[in-house]
Amino acid sequence: MSEIVFENVSRTPRAGVKGPGAAAWLTSLGVPVPDLPNSWLPLPGGLVARLGLTEFLVEGPEAAKLAAPPVHGVYPVLRQDTALVLKGARLNDLLLETCSVDFRALDRAARPVVLTSMAGVGVTAIPGDDAGVPCIRLWCDGTYGEWLLETLAGVAADLTQSSQSHHQGATS
Amino acid sequence: MRLPPQSGEWIIRSKPLGFRFEGREYAGFEGDTVASALWAGGVHVLGHSFKYHRPRGILSAANHDVNALMQAGGTPNVRADATPLQAGMALTAVNTFGTLERDAGRFLGWFARFLPVGFYYKAFHSKRLFPLWERMFRAMTGLGRVDFATPRLRTPKRYGFCDVLVVGAGPSGLSAALAAAEQGADVALVDENARLGGSTHGASELIKQVVAHPRIRIFTDTYAAGYYADHWVPLVEPGRITKMRARAVVVAAGAYEQPAVFRNNDLPGIMLASAAQRMIRRYAIRPAQRVVVLAANADAYRALQDFIEAGIEVAAVIDLRDAVPTEQAAVLAERGIPLHAGHVITEALPAKGDKRVAGVRIAAVATREASAEIACDGVFMSVGWAPAAPLLYQAGTKMRYDDGVQQFVPDTLPDGVFACGRVNGIHTPSARLLDGERAGSAAAAYCGCGAAKPVVVPAETASPTHPWPIVPHPKGKNFIDFDEDLQLADLENAIQEGFDNIELMKRYSTVGMGPSQGKHSNMNALRVLARATGSTPGAVGTTTARPFFHPVPMSHLAGRGFTPERRTPMHARHAAAGALWMPAGAWQRPEYYAVAGLSRSDCIHGEVKAVRNGVGLIDVGTLGKLEIRGPQAAEFLERVYISKYAGLKVGMTRYAVMCDEAGVVIDDGVVARLADDHFYFTTTTSGAALIYRELSRWNTLWKLDCGIVNLTGAMAAMNLAGPKARAVLAGLTDVDLSFPYLAVREGTVAGVPARLLRVGFVGEWGVEIHVPAEHGAAVWDALMAAGQAHGIRPFGVEAQRLLRLEKGHIIIGQDTDGLTTPGEAALDWAVKMDKPFFVGQRSLMAIAAKPRRQQLVGFMLPAGHAGEAPKECHLVIENGEITGRVTSVAWSPTLARHIGLAYVQPDRAQAGSQFSIRLTDGAMVIAEVVRTPFYDPDNLRQKEAA
Amino acid sequence: MKIMTCPVNGPRAISEFAYGGEIRPMPDPATCSDDAWADYVFNRNGSPGVKREWWCHTPSNTWFVAERDTARDVIVRTYLYAGDN
Repeated sequence: MSEIVFENVSRTPRAGVKGPGAAAWLTSLGVPVPDLPNSWLPLPGGLVARLGLTEFLVEGPEAAKLAAPPVHGVYPVLRQDTALVLKGARLNDLLLETCSVDFRALDRAARPVVLTSMAGVGVTAIPGDDAGVPCIRLWCDGTYGEWLLETLAGVAADLTQSSQSHHQGATS
Repeated sequence: MRLPPQSGEWIIRSKPLGFRFEGREYAGFEGDTVASALWAGGVHVLGHSFKYHRPRGILSAANHDVNALMQAGGTPNVRADATPLQAGMALTAVNTFGTLERDAGRFLGWFARFLPVGFYYKAFHSKRLFPLWERMFRAMTGLGRVDFATPRLRTPKRYGFCDVLVVGAGPSGLSAALAAAEQGADVALVDENARLGGSTHGASELIKQVVAHPRIRIFTDTYAAGYYADHWVPLVEPGRITKMRARAVVVAAGAYEQPAVFRNNDLPGIMLASAAQRMIRRYAIRPAQRVVVLAANADAYRALQDFIEAGIEVAAVIDLRDAVPTEQAAVLAERGIPLHAGHVITEALPAKGDKRVAGVRIAAVATREASAEIACDGVFMSVGWAPAAPLLYQAGTKMRYDDGVQQFVPDTLPDGVFACGRVNGIHTPSARLLDGERAGSAAAAYCGCGAAKPVVVPAETASPTHPWPIVPHPKGKNFIDFDEDLQLADLENAIQEGFDNIELMKRYSTVGMGPSQGKHSNMNALRVLARATGSTPGAVGTTTARPFFHPVPMSHLAGRGFTPERRTPMHARHAAAGALWMPAGAWQRPEYYAVAGLSRSDCIHGEVKAVRNGVGLIDVGTLGKLEIRGPQAAEFLERVYISKYAGLKVGMTRYAVMCDEAGVVIDDGVVARLADDHFYFTTTTSGAALIYRELSRWNTLWKLDCGIVNLTGAMAAMNLAGPKARAVLAGLTDVDLSFPYLAVREGTVAGVPARLLRVGFVGEWGVEIHVPAEHGAAVWDALMAAGQAHGIRPFGVEAQRLLRLEKGHIIIGQDTDGLTTPGEAALDWAVKMDKPFFVGQRSLMAIAAKPRRQQLVGFMLPAGHAGEAPKECHLVIENGEITGRVTSVAWSPTLARHIGLAYVQPDRAQAGSQFSIRLTDGAMVIAEVVRTPFYDPDNLRQKEAA
Repeated sequence: MKIMTCPVNGPRAISEFAYGGEIRPMPDPATCSDDAWADYVFNRNGSPGVKREWWCHTPSNTWFVAERDTARDVIVRTYLYAGDN
């Protein structure tokens, strides 16, 4: 199947926090903190991503813990993202048409988080694979979300159509 | 008539294709180019030259035969020598007045003496004659026709990544790609031809290995359009551009074979030896029956083998060199082919009708006296090469002229850039393979794959390029640039007229400025300039080689064209309510809501009336929304805004104006204090991202104990305003709505956590309601439902602009510009100079000591003003001088008057002063300065408590 | 297009960045002359050479310092502003 499948997971509970005290605060709430900047850890039903040095995104049931009142050096970040999961054999072709980061060169074992621009929209991206099928999780500002989804779906549709018509051209 | 099947030929004889040229039917094969199919079909005149409309045929068959540009139906710029033949093509020649057969432009050749070099420059000197010239040239010049009904083709671009990019799949490029891949590099190999091999031919062992290698990606029919920073190379494929980021680049682009310059060297049948070889090997065509070979290097004698095998009668070999190496001369002796060493062709003789060569006159180099005439229908020239070096130049390579090979070669290559093969001055076939191996290995090592092999590449022992393949002739027509029809004398005249520097000579004569961009002309032009000025090619230098290497279709460059769009959470509600959309930066905002049967201005006025008399609801979610927390949050705001916030009470808001370091107003908004160490503040729509970024930078520098969060996209916001607004909201919120004007409260609206700010922007009792974006639509729906009983209307940007104008409120960027300071914009009251520091303060101090340049005032036109009203940016004129301008103006339905804001001179700024505004047609309108607000001057309606 | 290395996010296409101007010391506004202040606000050093500049990686809002040789178009090094962890 050459189709790229889109799943809209915007409604998944999530919360954000940033600041010099954020890492310690999360630890005090029982949320594990990834060691390295721009990496993530799985959580029951979700994940915690370290965005750069001192900002965190927590997704899943654990996000409820971040409703606790912040302390000094802790700045809550209201997250209202459009969140998508894309999956498909030709996913990398879609990424090559929309983003200048070489996702295939990343060391997956390090669980990288990539903050970049896709089709001109700022995104947070976590590449992965699901039983060998490439997939990627994307978060972007919700006000760009509809446009980004429409645009990526358009790119995916063109790619599906071109696979089906056995389009000639250099392999990627 | 084709030759018997050639080993590795490109044509597929089982797939014949029919096509038309100039109205006649022809047949070719799949795998042919347009030019090869026509030549095989007996068509040897493929086009007429640009200036003199001389018949031209094939010159290079290597994608610089500009004289064979054609039009295929609605598609212009079909390069016959490089475009694959397709069934049903209907081609016509361009640059003819009439058909190719009957081209009325041929007479231009006879008037050549009136079209001297630098013609455009000289002709356009006269302003009086310019319109005449312009009309003439528009009719005469231009190659082809644009079909304006062409549908947009989508050719999405994509990124690509590799370790080593090898440009050119000739012997050295193939060798380089293999060497790099064997060392573990991920290689991308690019060639503009349909097949690998470059100037060699046939499915060699090397090609087989390259094709089979798992780490080599092959791009054929693809050219590298230019070299950009950090090994960024756009690869132009038939259907799209791949933006390739390499870690190292090997330029194995080869060299362009160069024409010799002699009288009538442009007659059809006269071509480069490599062109003849391509015709034979790729397309199984014998390009001519009886040829003269003009030689000056070993390549000529290698090509000779191909000519002989193809059954071409070689009437003679004219060699520019006095001494021809024995092994080369031996080939001729064996076959009884006469060799004239130390001779030149002085002129080619046309057949009757001038459409084909019929013979040549030759002379000894020393005497230049014609010594013989040789009949022939083809002349194949092999006198030298110019490196295909644009990519190297664009990468910053320092080139030098090498007398050993009579060409420019790389002297100092930038890091990560490598060169091999002919472009590197290596021409002997075996040496090219070694040079490629050396470069490929070094490139892979540069990327951390293996070590650079110490390959020894033997230097050339004889020059493959003749330093002066140029023969003057008193009757001229010895062409240097075939695109631009430039003869030797044209360049000599340009130099004599003082344009004796390579850049000046190029632009004055236009040499190298045609579609092939000097591929076959720059080197000879350079030689002419060097000789004429007593210099050397190395000293003369080359002109700048700019992208693109070949013309790139505009559709490729356009790609998809990503233009991100931002939509508020209530977007669908506006669409359902009939909103007309207007872009506001990346956002889409409702300009107004259409009502059937009403004009635009009636709709807008209707919305204004609803707000003044009832209740309206506007989506203000595009505003920037920022949050700052921490012990020094107030201190931070004190530093970035011009007013004071340290003493702002918790639960209150204050208007906020931001200046830059020059004291210029750059943004405004509202600051709300939610707690001692917690503020929520807004910015303009267009300023949001920039302000957040700039505030982040200030705090990186100041390191105050606070943090800023950008909630612009995370919060929805709407303004409910009008005398009935409170009634509408009361049932939906747990907040006591008697909270004071300019205060802020947190609570819920329609069950959703909300921040309520009592604001006065539109001049009625109003509340700005801020909720998390996911609840925006639901809260909007609840308010609209609750408001039905009160006749609630959604209102858009235009109504809001009118409402705020009635209150005299400024809009940053409309009523201020890049130089406006607070005092000029009537914001003196907001500036608190007694703060220890704020951004812009020091500049405002200096400005305060100078006389004010202008003053923003409110104005009205006389009641009952009939006729046109001023528009924004119409000028204020006094005594013939510009003394100000209108920034906002509108018909106020509330006041039944034209109102506006304008900059006037400070001494004209008192209420009651009159000033004149000039309309577009020059008519003057009198306006009177009026205190603002125009409407409800005491602001009672918005402050109303109960 | 040029590559800029964000100290936190690594090498990226320059289109992901915003330029924030050369890092220049601010004269003490309390004591400097109008001329010195105007020079700070309006004048810039245009001569080619290595400049210390503010740059921002916009997708992550990371401000940092880049030392850039404007004569050779080479980015010499990039690092977080002093005191940033």
